Amino acid sequence: MKDYKLIDHTADLGVKLEGGNLKELFKNAALAMFDIIAQKEKKVNSRREKIEIAQEANDLDELFINWLNELLSLSAIKDLIFDDFDIKKIDSKGIKAIAWGQSLKNYKVNTEIKAATYHDLKIEEKQGKWQAEVIFDV
Amino acid sequence: MSNLWQGPLEKIDDYRFRIPKSYKKGMRVDGIIYADDKLIASIRQDKAMEQVSNVAFLPGIVGASLAMPDIHWGYGFPIGGVAATDIEEGGVVSPGGVGFDINCGIRLLRTDFTYDEIKDKISSLVAGLFSDVPSGVGSKGDIRVSRREEKELFLKGARWAVAKGFGVKDDLECTEEYGAISGADPDAVSDRAYERGKAQSGTLGSGNHFLELQVIDQVYDQDIADAFGLRLGQLTIMIHSGSRGLGYQVCDDYSRRMIKSLSKYNINVPDRQLACAPVKSIEGRQYLGAMRAAANYAWVNRQCLMYRVRKVFEKTFSKSWQNMGMSLIYDVAHNIAKIEKHVVNGKNKELCVHRKGATRAFGPDHPELPDRYKKTGQPVIIPGDMGRNSYLLVGTKKASETFYSACHGAGRVMSRTEAARTIDYNKLLKTLESKGIIVRASGRKTIVEEAPDAYKDVNDVVGVIDKAGISKKVVRMRPLGVIKG
Repeated sequence: MKDYKLIDHTADLGVKLEGGNLKELFKNAALAMFDIIAQKEKKVNSRREKIEIAQEANDLDELFINWLNELLSLSAIKDLIFDDFDIKKIDSKGIKAIAWGQSLKNYKVNTEIKAATYHDLKIEEKQGKWQAEVIFDV
Repeated sequence: MSNLWQGPLEKIDDYRFRIPKSYKKGMRVDGIIYADDKLIASIRQDKAMEQVSNVAFLPGIVGASLAMPDIHWGYGFPIGGVAATDIEEGGVVSPGGVGFDINCGIRLLRTDFTYDEIKDKISSLVAGLFSDVPSGVGSKGDIRVSRREEKELFLKGARWAVAKGFGVKDDLECTEEYGAISGADPDAVSDRAYERGKAQSGTLGSGNHFLELQVIDQVYDQDIADAFGLRLGQLTIMIHSGSRGLGYQVCDDYSRRMIKSLSKYNINVPDRQLACAPVKSIEGRQYLGAMRAAANYAWVNRQCLMYRVRKVFEKTFSKSWQNMGMSLIYDVAHNIAKIEKHVVNGKNKELCVHRKGATRAFGPDHPELPDRYKKTGQPVIIPGDMGRNSYLLVGTKKASETFYSACHGAGRVMSRTEAARTIDYNKLLKTLESKGIIVRASGRKTIVEEAPDAYKDVNDVVGVIDKAGISKKVVRMRPLGVIKG
């Protein structure tokens, strides 16, 4: 998974990514985030845990940040790395999705991401494609 | 990051620059940056200055939106930023002005050893510390407490740890807020935050957190060094860590809430990461209650880390830590918001002082200092990068101009991505080795990202603080052994 670009930031880490539609954009952002956090080490396919996620927000920016931070939080308390997402429903006010995660033990952890931040956050639709830029506190 | 910041910048004197409040509509006060000509050139390379001007929008802000010479681009607040708001004038508290790692801070221990006495042991000490102190991303410790006890920990901070046997009473006197800030509200901490912090007490964490063995290589103020029991050639130990996952979750929970309440309080900020609420509002009070719980958790964390360090020394030298003189010099928070009394325009005010990558620096005679530091001023601990130096300073009376605040480190100058692109791991280790520095880390990536070249020269940064008179240099250390998460 290398479908994103890193953006230079003095203290933290930014990424730029795309999606054909909103569902794809949110999924790609989550995949990019966990790709930065950890790389799969062993080829064992342990049991995957399935978690339902629902988030609400006042607008798309807030939803995007809430989605990523909810995933970080769940990943931390359940010791999981999420590697696939099925977004069932999304609009600017809410998201309903399923995230699949595998035990942290199967991964080599590279970077701790504390949170996704609003600073310099950009989400826009351009010529039928969605683009986002987000800075993570690392 | 080649876009030089183009906003207006006036030179006040050799160590201060001003961003006038006329720069942007909505700025309530000027921005003031502590820097010299050399440092300001690098500070202008990223968006930190813009962030200084954004902080000046905060309702109730008094004096100026301040930045220390280690300032660099953060999210919302710049790192190295200080902002004080007047509580009686609708002053706000902003979770972004504290950051995700609540009460990230640093402590310094002395020892009776000189470098010459133990230079053959450095490598085994580093190995022992690396194996016995849990470090790395999501590292877990063996300190597990029940939910009820966690509440007590949130209220009592390092006092809880000392009662459990992880230290002595003297340690508390040598910790900011005596290791437990009052006003913590365990009920304001969400279940999720409890969950996220529960297994991480006594762990170092990752990123820029570290544990370092150092030797004092310069003494600037012999009298104060004597008073602290420090001398040239002596071994010291530094511990840098914070509130781990608990702090991240508290910050996330309350940022969400305060973004929602911005319109309720009619607050306009140019960056949502500056979301805030009046200190006196329900949101403000609860955030401060939860933030203090996380801050106390961080003091427990550093207390337990110190306990482990002392144990490793006891194992290595078969002596008690007391017999090796391993007492705590001081522990300071550098990501925190505090309610403090200050004089503004000749009037006594109660302010909410945000220090986001800045260290409290009370001068001599400050009523909140313990007797042992009343005469000298508060110890101010400034870590540098792993290849250069770290400093111990003391606060001064002149620091009243910065609400008694100083810098917190060297400050990054190179992005992590650029460091990864341009710094060669093996070459770096060789260079450090040739300087007599042993490094152990959970991953190569951290070492490269945290390489000395990624940071400003701490000697320049501390030089500005010292010459501007907001803290005074006491001793300088150089690293011998570094453990990174």
